Amino acid sequence: MNTLLLLALLASPAHGQQPDLAARLARRGAPPDFAQAVSQLAAEARAGGLPVEPLADKAFEGLAKGYAPDRILPVVQALVARLREGREAVVSAKLPHPPGALVAAAAEALGRGIGRAEIVEILQAAPTPTDAAVGLTVAASLAAQGIVPDDATRAVTDAYRHGHSSEDVLELPSVTSNWFAEGVGMPEVLKRIRSGGGLSFPPGLNRGTGAPPGDFPGKGPPINPPGKNKNPHHP
Amino acid sequence: MSERDGLADGEIVRRILDGETHLFEVLIRRYRTEFARYATALVGDTDQAADAMQEAFIRAYRSLASCRDPQRVKAWFFRILTNQCHDQRAKLRREVSLNGQDATARDRADAGVERAELRAAITRALTQLTPEQREAFVLRHVDGKTYEEMAVLLDTGVDALKMRVYRARDALRQHLEHLHD
Amino acid sequence: MTEPRAFSSDGQRYLDGEPTETLAPAERASADRLTRAVTAYAANLRAPDARLDRVVMRRVLAEAGPTHGGAWRWLLAPRMVRVRPAVLAIAAAAVLLLWWVSARPAAAPLVPATAARVPDTVLVRFELSAPDAHEVSLAGSFNRWEAPGIPLRRSSVPGLWTVTVPLAVGEQQYLFLVDGNRWIPDPTAHAQVDDGFGRRNSVIVVGPRGVARS
Repeated sequence: MNTLLLLALLASPAHGQQPDLAARLARRGAPPDFAQAVSQLAAEARAGGLPVEPLADKAFEGLAKGYAPDRILPVVQALVARLREGREAVVSAKLPHPPGALVAAAAEALGRGIGRAEIVEILQAAPTPTDAAVGLTVAASLAAQGIVPDDATRAVTDAYRHGHSSEDVLELPSVTSNWFAEGVGMPEVLKRIRSGGGLSFPPGLNRGTGAPPGDFPGKGPPINPPGKNKNPHHP
Repeated sequence: MSERDGLADGEIVRRILDGETHLFEVLIRRYRTEFARYATALVGDTDQAADAMQEAFIRAYRSLASCRDPQRVKAWFFRILTNQCHDQRAKLRREVSLNGQDATARDRADAGVERAELRAAITRALTQLTPEQREAFVLRHVDGKTYEEMAVLLDTGVDALKMRVYRARDALRQHLEHLHD
Repeated sequence: MTEPRAFSSDGQRYLDGEPTETLAPAERASADRLTRAVTAYAANLRAPDARLDRVVMRRVLAEAGPTHGGAWRWLLAPRMVRVRPAVLAIAAAAVLLLWWVSARPAAAPLVPATAARVPDTVLVRFELSAPDAHEVSLAGSFNRWEAPGIPLRRSSVPGLWTVTVPLAVGEQQYLFLVDGNRWIPDPTAHAQVDDGFGRRNSVIVVGPRGVARS
């Protein structure tokens, strides 16, 4: 296959609308009935409030790796099931209309051994749904790096509770990876993570009106949702 | 009045979450119209109240997806706003405030010294109330809301709200009577 | 010091505008004064006006970002748009241009993302030691697993292939594709995870300050 060639055209006629999934699959060489089957799964998933792009990606991945359709389809179905579980976990944390990115992050976390209760904890510690998606992604990654799910969860929830931003939290997998690369053993890595090591900036700078995070999602409206005060307004 | 103004709060929230960010402006206008006086009475200063409202709106926008029931977004926002007002007020108190004195001086220049004195007394008296009493009193007497409407906003029973309002009245009565001591 | 005097229940009902017949005159006068005071206070209240609306909306639009998305961002990979090769003679030249675009869930114009769009995208370097390879490329979540994907180049270090790409902040899964038919994990990735097909994908978590790995 030739090297991929992309043209520097700003205006693409396809902009704005995602073309039909079946058509996108067909363009990648998927047989028509497989493309239809995946498209149908995606439609059902969408109707159930699940994000569809992760399903598309998994199908594309299977095709790229050369798997036969009858091997790919069960994998996509399993992903639908996991997305559904992920959505249930998020909704159980009192977030009734979760964004797709958050559902996908929860599903991925579940697949890596982060439990439902831990997912809820992360949702409650994170200031916003966007931060929650980051938190889940980072916890899932730490778990994949060998950190026990409990510690992976706590690393994230502690960070948010101490006022760290998502930008700080996103550093954790890199920092952990560095420690392993330097030859630091797992017990020491765990120790550092448990004591909040790996978070570069001290929180508390520019934190706006500093009420402690609480009640997100909670049983009532968020009391003083901390948010990321990018534009700190100090009256 | 544009077509957007006829949309219910819940519908607006759903559409904002779907990407129609510009619709947030409808909520801003509605809630500013409804709660600006409440915020001002709660905080005690117009500019600070504007700051508190601004911050409350931004927090609400950021957390909009976490509003459990989009139909009740008004009560949800009201809670965020109330907390923000209390925070703002706490900050204000820590500063040396000359506002009270200046207001009184201005008031005295108006005709109707008695009204000016009463106004000043209320302003001072409100600071002495507990936050819950202040909220309830302002909603009842400044905004003229019914106890049932207050119950929805404050997520509290009517009887409890009546108690808060009654206690607030008693405290204010005492302040007014001290004017004549 | 005056003893605190509570309004009677009649007095409270009177203040609530309910009819009462048995209210003592002194208490009625007291209630009336309270009402006058509050009315004067409320009449003088200067509340924030419509200018507040504009100020808030400006901030909201700034938060929503240039594509005016919803109240959150899609954190996963940017989408690569493969424009149909309208046969430009560029095909003959060995010029490769990569456009990384962030697709919005809602219909919105696609914007080419460049490294200047920090905090959303970050330049990340990939390298693989494959001395016997003829071709090495990179495919993954950031390019929707389109094989062969992004080509790596031989570096000045013998056997080492490298490429630097702008990636969206967040998690990325990927593999190297060697000679068009062998999928190889990245030993320097943060982790390897089950791909669902019985094999492993490499994972890195891209932070706004970059990626550090072994």
